[in-house]
Amino acid sequence: MTLIQKRIVILIVVIIVAAVLGRLAVRAFLNFMLGGTLFGGNFL
Amino acid sequence: MKNKEKGRKRVLWGFIYVCVFVVAFAVSAIIKMTYNPLSGEMQVNWNDSVGRVYTDIAYGEKEKNKFDLYVPADHTKKTYGLVVYLHAGGFTSGDKSDDADMLKWLCSKGYVAAGINYTLRDNNNSKTSVYTMSQEIKNSIPVVKAEAEKLGYNLDRMAISGGSAGGTLALLYAYRDADTSPIPIKMVFEMVGPSSFYPEDWTTYGLDQSPEAAANLFSVMSGNTITTDMIGTPKYEEVIKDISPYMWIDKNAVPTLAAYGRYDKVCPFGTVKHLVNALEKNNVPHDYIEFPHSGHGLQNDTKLSAKYIEKINEYLERYMGSK
Repeated sequence: MTLIQKRIVILIVVIIVAAVLGRLAVRAFLNFMLGGTLFGGNFL
Repeated sequence: MKNKEKGRKRVLWGFIYVCVFVVAFAVSAIIKMTYNPLSGEMQVNWNDSVGRVYTDIAYGEKEKNKFDLYVPADHTKKTYGLVVYLHAGGFTSGDKSDDADMLKWLCSKGYVAAGINYTLRDNNNSKTSVYTMSQEIKNSIPVVKAEAEKLGYNLDRMAISGGSAGGTLALLYAYRDADTSPIPIKMVFEMVGPSSFYPEDWTTYGLDQSPEAAANLFSVMSGNTITTDMIGTPKYEEVIKDISPYMWIDKNAVPTLAAYGRYDKVCPFGTVKHLVNALEKNNVPHDYIEFPHSGHGLQNDTKLSAKYIEKINEYLERYMGSK
């Protein structure tokens, strides 16, 4: 794997993790205000 | 020299990763906050070919005694069904305009739709209670009927609905005031409206631990003086009945569609069993949709939200007649 390929893989992983955490953060805030589970249902 | 260059590149790429993380996090959070997968279900391209809205029609002397009337463009029918939608807001806030999309959607289905405001509990209205709000709704319906008639829409059947506080008021009208309604009530649909007021169910407010707090809150809500020693006695049932929709359910109660979240902190989930049990005990046609992962916003169970919308359509068609 070339260095460029490694960097692209890392970028993709970073984007996926950030996207999941971003949605989870909103869900956690809404659950804090209104009640609800963090996981389950329409996950994310 | 080569090592220095390598180090610089590492720092640069580290910076790029952090920036990408922050941007992706923010974009994802914004999409989650703003995108509703079900918004299209109730979206109406509102124009004169769909209907017209008449706003702020007065039904009483108080500032909030106003309603908006959405009438369908087709005014050739002999009679129309009325669907009333009462806004949410914890009995202290909210406005009929909050439900404009819902009202337009109902109107687009051929019904006359009404969004009704009621006097909210605030510093200027310290005597206002759930009971006085429910009485205002009761007083508004004859005026809604008369105003619709003036516009050429004769109303001969009615559904009432609402969310949260509006849900409670809708249930109260449907069960308690049905007999005196100038328009026969055919059905009620609501979500997350408290239907009973027993301290042991209101755990999220700590009322199960504090009879004083329970007596205070329910005194304010009912407009009656409730003392701690009344709680758990027949006298308590008597003073709380006027604002407890489930207590008015009998075998003649109208078909009911209700949705609640199992983790609701605002309308405690413990209150729901009284409503569901009363509907079952009296063999009232009903659908109860429980959102197992959601709270007051019914926010974590999209499939069940879609089912709720589907059921609204089904109920309207069955009990109110389609277009």
